[in-house]
Amino acid sequence: MQGVLGAFHHIDSAVHAVEELKKSRVGDITVYTPTPRHEFEHALEHGPSKVRVFTLIFGLCGVTFGYWIPVWMSDYWPLVVGGKAIASWVPFTILGFEVMVLVGGLATVFAMFGFAGIPRLTMTVGYDGRFSGGHFGVWVAAEGNDAATAESILKKHGAEEVRRER
Amino acid sequence: MATTAAPYRGGERPNIPSAAKRFPAINDYEQVDREIAGTLRPTLGWFAALGIAILCMLIGATTWTYQIHEGLGAAGYQPPVMWGVYIITFVFWVGIGHAGTLISAILYLFRAGFRTSIYRVSEAMTVFAVMTAGLFPILHLGRPWKFFYLIPYPNWRLIWPNPKSPLVWDVFAILTYLTISSTFLYIGLIPDIAILRDREKNPVRKAILATLALGWRNSDREWRHFTRAYLFLAAFATPLVLSVHSVVSFDFAMALTPGWHATIFPPYFVAGAIFSGIGMVFTIVIPLRKAFKLEHYVTLNDLDAAAKLCLFTSMVVGLAYLTEFQVAWMSGNKFEQDYFWNRVFGQWAWAAWIMLICNMILPLSLWSQKLRRNPMWLFILSIFINIGMWFERFVIVVPSLSHEFEPWQWGSYRPTWVDYGILLGSFGWFFMWFLLFIKQLPVMAMAEIKEVVPPRMKHGHDDDPHNLAAGTIDPDITGVAH
Repeated sequence: MQGVLGAFHHIDSAVHAVEELKKSRVGDITVYTPTPRHEFEHALEHGPSKVRVFTLIFGLCGVTFGYWIPVWMSDYWPLVVGGKAIASWVPFTILGFEVMVLVGGLATVFAMFGFAGIPRLTMTVGYDGRFSGGHFGVWVAAEGNDAATAESILKKHGAEEVRRER
Repeated sequence: MATTAAPYRGGERPNIPSAAKRFPAINDYEQVDREIAGTLRPTLGWFAALGIAILCMLIGATTWTYQIHEGLGAAGYQPPVMWGVYIITFVFWVGIGHAGTLISAILYLFRAGFRTSIYRVSEAMTVFAVMTAGLFPILHLGRPWKFFYLIPYPNWRLIWPNPKSPLVWDVFAILTYLTISSTFLYIGLIPDIAILRDREKNPVRKAILATLALGWRNSDREWRHFTRAYLFLAAFATPLVLSVHSVVSFDFAMALTPGWHATIFPPYFVAGAIFSGIGMVFTIVIPLRKAFKLEHYVTLNDLDAAAKLCLFTSMVVGLAYLTEFQVAWMSGNKFEQDYFWNRVFGQWAWAAWIMLICNMILPLSLWSQKLRRNPMWLFILSIFINIGMWFERFVIVVPSLSHEFEPWQWGSYRPTWVDYGILLGSFGWFFMWFLLFIKQLPVMAMAEIKEVVPPRMKHGHDDDPHNLAAGTIDPDITGVAH
């Protein structure tokens, strides 16, 4: 992957650079920030995360499984306790709830991993260690003339360092 | 450098995390990284504390080995009291584990500003407390190597656990809680581990940190999904906190024993758990902020806010104590009335009064703002709360079993050195993990603190960084107020 990387020390400069890069459509933009910043979310105009779909689907699967397993166990090895029904849904709600949280919670995390593209084995291109500290990074995946345009926009907005990577 | 923040006055809302109020002595992101990563250097005091913790843990392990050899009779069980220190300590540690998720998940959903600087410690405390609690049902078994019989899986015995038993509910609840709270802790740690990875010079340590960080790069895509996932995990963890201690309370409330068979138990246990957990947070955070010189992160305003929560939960717990007496009095049930009389004026009066003084009376001091803002008093009070909450569980478990319906069921209970050794070992086990944690990983969420600290801006505001709170300076850039 080829592109241009700009490192900014000031958030407003980085946001203005992203806005102009977006208008000039020179390539896909990735922004690196030490902490989540809504300014960039607005500038980049990404839609909402789809993690929630997995939370819902797997939460429902979890609650179904959580009810099913005690019903099956009770049916397989019937124990009459206090004259209650073999499959008593009230006490089984506890297991249903716990398994819903377990499966739904873990699915949320795995969905986040999938959408965010982690675990990542290599991170040599388009990243700089300063971006977890105090700097803001803007990576534009571009080649040729587009890369030159991106480079000039990043410099114009006061990037501390601009470099091409491949 | 200012180490405290002024009290909030004049109708200001302390939970709105504006930088000037939250962290008046923190100027930029680099300072956050430098100061919090700086706490990872081991010190002589830390080695000494770790040595003591390991020694206590070894005493516990040796005692347990002795108990396995001799049998459960080595502990202080004596009919009719066949639940003792192990079950008391199990409930105690599960309770401690509740404040962590309360602080990290529930206060996150409520956007409580004081959470930011104490939630990492609380989350770690939760995980290690639940790890400790999970040992006690196993310690309590006559044949501990058969503990896995409670886990439902296809097996050669062709039998399954009874899903109507509170003990099976416990297995599901505690294992789910341990899994979700560990996941919550780890997910929150990923961006901070990435910070440590990027600062690390030692190649071996860097490789370990890089593996743990999973290749995290702080990209907009990662943050977008991370913040959503974190929110949903918090939303899942919130009812989980309430459910787990409710399930633990069912271990008692499902029995017909006097003093146990009450519908008040689930909310009573949950309030007690949160109260005891906040007590333990104070016990840990107050020395930590002093030792790590982080008083300007955990400010007096944070302690003040947490102390108010402590006061509130103490009053809920106190109300539950009094309600129990009122219910016994109004029930007309002689066994119930006798039991409560015996608890507070009879055989177990000493334990009941330790509980009442530590959990109901001493926390009333927190009505005073001066005391809420006095770390030394909060620390002393937290020790009393820890003692009081252990005795609360003692008062629940032992008096009920020693004074059931008929005179032949009346007896006494005296723990042996085996009980005390294992109790000491549990503290050693907990603090060993905690001390190891605080020197390997940051005790405060660096990335989240940076959300509150204003970022550097080129145009106009560098003269006073505290005026840079997002949403108040340049709406064109900040977009959404934090």
